[in-house]
Amino acid sequence: MIPPGSLALLAQGAAVSLLLAAAAIVGGTVLAIVLAAAAFSRIAAVRALYRVYVYIVRGTPLLVLALLLFYAMPALDLRTGPYIAGTLVLIIYTGALFAEVFRGGVLAIPRPQWESARSLGLPPVAMFRKIVAPLVTRYTLPPYVNVCVMTVKASSVLSIISVWELTLAAREIIERTFAVFTILGLAAAFYFVMCFGIDRLGRRVERRLALRGFAGERA
Amino acid sequence: MSFARWVSIYGSTYWTGLAWTAFIALWASFGAVVWGCVLLLIRLSAGRWGARGVDAYVQLFRNTPVLLPIYLIYFAFPMIGLPWPAVVCGGLALILQNGAYISEVLRGSVNAIDRVQFDAARSLGLAPWGTFRKVVLPQVLVYSLPALGNQVVLLLKDTSLLSAISITELTMQAKLLTEQTGAAYEAFIVVALLYLVLVSSTEVLFRVAHHAVRWR
Amino acid sequence: MGKVDVRHVWAAVLLATLVVMSPAAGAEEKSRLDVVLERGKLIVVTLTTVPPFAFNDEKGQLVGFDIDIARLLAQALFKDPTKVEFVSVTAEGRWPAIESGRADMGVGGTTTYPDRAIRVAFTRPFIDSGISILVSKKSGIKTVADLNQDKFTVASLNNPQMADRAKRFFPKAKALTFDTPAAQFLAVRSGRATALQIDTPSAEYWAAQNKDELEVLPGLLGASQNNGVFMKPGDFKWWLWLDTAVAELRTGSWYPQYAEIYQKWFGKNPPPQKFYLSQ
Repeated sequence: MIPPGSLALLAQGAAVSLLLAAAAIVGGTVLAIVLAAAAFSRIAAVRALYRVYVYIVRGTPLLVLALLLFYAMPALDLRTGPYIAGTLVLIIYTGALFAEVFRGGVLAIPRPQWESARSLGLPPVAMFRKIVAPLVTRYTLPPYVNVCVMTVKASSVLSIISVWELTLAAREIIERTFAVFTILGLAAAFYFVMCFGIDRLGRRVERRLALRGFAGERA
Repeated sequence: MSFARWVSIYGSTYWTGLAWTAFIALWASFGAVVWGCVLLLIRLSAGRWGARGVDAYVQLFRNTPVLLPIYLIYFAFPMIGLPWPAVVCGGLALILQNGAYISEVLRGSVNAIDRVQFDAARSLGLAPWGTFRKVVLPQVLVYSLPALGNQVVLLLKDTSLLSAISITELTMQAKLLTEQTGAAYEAFIVVALLYLVLVSSTEVLFRVAHHAVRWR
Repeated sequence: MGKVDVRHVWAAVLLATLVVMSPAAGAEEKSRLDVVLERGKLIVVTLTTVPPFAFNDEKGQLVGFDIDIARLLAQALFKDPTKVEFVSVTAEGRWPAIESGRADMGVGGTTTYPDRAIRVAFTRPFIDSGISILVSKKSGIKTVADLNQDKFTVASLNNPQMADRAKRFFPKAKALTFDTPAAQFLAVRSGRATALQIDTPSAEYWAAQNKDELEVLPGLLGASQNNGVFMKPGDFKWWLWLDTAVAELRTGSWYPQYAEIYQKWFGKNPPPQKFYLSQ
């Protein structure tokens, strides 16, 4: 029923998709921290830059962003393989999404927390480490995990640019063997396991953080 | 040639793509909202199995990329005797995917409805369907308007994937122009701008609707 | 130190960037041949779903006649056929990949056309080709003329030459446009389209793999065509080397290697290297 060797190829493709997503999540998080800092900058121009960046990235389909970067920006094309270019596109995309999550998290911190932090007289860095970061982590974990899942699903769009990952692997097998239902079903299963797994992992981390008395609450 | 000149020559060819994108986004959004409401109804009225079934459906579509149902419906359905036109296939995939998300959004809003209203509806003798139509649905839709707007924007952006099944929407248009004219940069910048315009207009539309409905 | 004016800092940074970037502008003068030799690796852009020119086999390896041609070129450059990196693209992605300098050259069942040659330069052909129609046997179509009815659908690639042929030979049929030959094939196989137009070797390959469902219509759509290696125009040194290499493959000292891969992918001998030789 299942064409021989296709399961192995699909597994390879799934591994590639996962790696792409992982690289994009790491890079996107780093970018997002920088962007979120820009979002709260005292300089109005920097805040405006942030808004423009998020507006463009969230208002354009990922496919169009990828095609734009792949075909139309020579500086990106030179000396980079499809995987690096694909990861870069994903980082730009997830960076904006994560930044909005972080920004929302910071904005969700109730006023009293800010005031009590300031009244403690802590220097900004310590204030960030001991008060802001834990609170933001708590508030942003669910949407953060959500964006991680979205990243895995977004990697399938790169198949249209001929980046070899799970969706493209599935298409190639289908074009050879024509077992459309079986192969697409298997590919869907691989995606499901990856996304659902990330979701479950996120829930477990959430529970752990809540139990251990994170953000100053003793269990 | 300069950007302005290129746009003045080839700009008019984007109308086809724009029309298709807007057309599909419009009826697929409508269909997705309707389908989301249907899923909500099933969840509320079909007991534990209904709720479980809807949960499974939602989990399936939340954890798989939308390209897979698009390919499935377009390439595989003709094999089982259902050769629907490309626009129907693409729209259907978008409806199935986004309907799942919308039903979750609506479900969150249902909890915002005061319990009292359900008791009142029952005392009036309203059947479940009547309760749903007259009490739940209007309020839930109004509460969720911002989130629905968000989902419609996501659907609008997903229409770009329909270029893979030979629908001449905006992204396909950009690719064709790249082939014909060699101006990849110009072709895709214009398309990106057009998407930004579409997305912004949709967001404004929903914001206006939200304000209008809130002050009723 | 007094307060530093931010605007002055920005101006200095901008100037520094411009100064640093100007030597880079002069770097374009070097020929791609020298760049490739220095790099030690050939970067080739190719379609990856046009059997038997370039496609992924059951193990996921990129193989094909054009792939082997690229490896022969790498052999000539570096004495090592593995020093090639393939960049996979969809049909319209071939040209930006060359124009942006991402790839040194391209293969993959790409036909030489005068209007296409405005954007990319071609070597002489390394294989003759032509466009054939692959049709599903169920449709009962026997000639190209039969295809010209509005109840039929033809799948084409998204380039203007295909659109042109569709208008010329079967204007009444409905058209589907895809960005990879594999999608065209899937469309026909699944019943979405009645026929597709593609290079004859690809059509014959797919027909051989699906003898019961598909067949190739006799005759070519238009003339016999030339598939060549394409590269960025204007670089004479690079074009001259590639063209010389292709000439030697087809009609000169490397004919045995050429004949070997030709036999491997097409199951027959290539055309003789000189008209007055029988072999």
